[in-house]
Amino acid sequence: MAIPILKQGDVLIASLQAAPTDQDLIQLKDELAERIGHFRSRIVAIDVGALDVMDSFATRTLRSIAHATKLRGANTVIVGIQPDVAFAMVQLGLTLDGIETALDLDEGLALMRTRPDGGASGDR
Amino acid sequence: MSDQQSRLQLSSIPLTDAEVDRRKRIVDLSGEDISRIVTLRNMVAEHTNRYVDAFFRYLDDLGEAPALFGKREVLEEAKRRKREHLAAMTAAQYDRNYVEQRIALALLYSRHGVSTPVFLGAFHHLLRALGNDIVKSVKDPNDAFQRFISLKKVAFFDIGIMTDVLISERERTINLQQDAIRELSTPVLQIREGLLILPIIGMIDSQRAKQLTDGLLRSIRANRARMVVMDITGVAAVDSKVANHLIQTIAAARLMGSTVIVTGLSADVAQALVALGVDLGKISTTGDLQSGLEEAERMLGYRVVRTNETTGPRLSA
Repeated sequence: MAIPILKQGDVLIASLQAAPTDQDLIQLKDELAERIGHFRSRIVAIDVGALDVMDSFATRTLRSIAHATKLRGANTVIVGIQPDVAFAMVQLGLTLDGIETALDLDEGLALMRTRPDGGASGDR
Repeated sequence: MSDQQSRLQLSSIPLTDAEVDRRKRIVDLSGEDISRIVTLRNMVAEHTNRYVDAFFRYLDDLGEAPALFGKREVLEEAKRRKREHLAAMTAAQYDRNYVEQRIALALLYSRHGVSTPVFLGAFHHLLRALGNDIVKSVKDPNDAFQRFISLKKVAFFDIGIMTDVLISERERTINLQQDAIRELSTPVLQIREGLLILPIIGMIDSQRAKQLTDGLLRSIRANRARMVVMDITGVAAVDSKVANHLIQTIAAARLMGSTVIVTGLSADVAQALVALGVDLGKISTTGDLQSGLEEAERMLGYRVVRTNETTGPRLSA
């Protein structure tokens, strides 16, 4: 099942549903890279609030999405990581260093908007 | 305490016939033993009061269980139950009812501070008194020894129950205390919109650390917090395990879009962390809670202004 990507102004929003396959994630990565150029998007928000587990592959894919997005001139924010998932990720050493994270979509977009460059620098 | 209450309180010993039989089997209590014990019935009945007095005088002389001797009615109940015990011991009906009586007596001891070794010492004293009398009353030493051994099997049957109760009661007390401490511990408080404080006081063990993490991450979600000030002024010592757990908590909070400032690292804790080689590079710290709050407010865009010098400090956003 492909992951839907929504466009809202200069924002692309991808909402991960429960248990996406590795194939879904790779497809998401390719499609996002493609659409950023197409829509001239500035911000990519990936909502993982529906996931109750985040493995190393998913984390690595998100990381490479963020890096590829940067190269395409937009910035990525990961939103909605659940408390249990967050702690499990940290214990596995998957800390998403250098990538923006926020509580939910609202907060994530607000965070990116407050940055003078729209969130171009990776660190907080 | 009624027997019913004791049953309610004590789930650790299942009061089934199978359990009673199992315990009898453990001490190797056979029909032969029971027939030997029955022969002691008259002797014990005759001297019950002396045995009971010996038991309690010994306890009193030990001075290890003052609570039991502090109240007359408590002592009277304990004595009454002890007399029942001796009667039941030689009545040789070791059934569920007998076990219940043992449990009730053990609960009484437990509530009045008779610890396991003290109980064992006094009980041994009682057995010694019984043994001496058996040797005196039975002519054949071999026979006397056999009777005493049979009685001793019952005694060990009793001790098994009594120590189980005493230990499980102690564990129950410890659990209750731990629950109480847990309830007191680590509140997460919102002091501004989007700003939480987490004052940590006392020792952090791994269970508490886990609970602390859980509580913080959930509160971040519930209060939509963007900043957290974690104050560890009240933490006297931090080992590497706890430090790592705190670091993980902070990293997890970041994944949820929240920034954590750690405040109040005491000189000792700071030195210890450096000595442990814990990497605190990614964590923002400030000296005390006040500067941590000021920093957090600044980052959230709050400005605190004093409006009137004379009426004391009033805060506005």
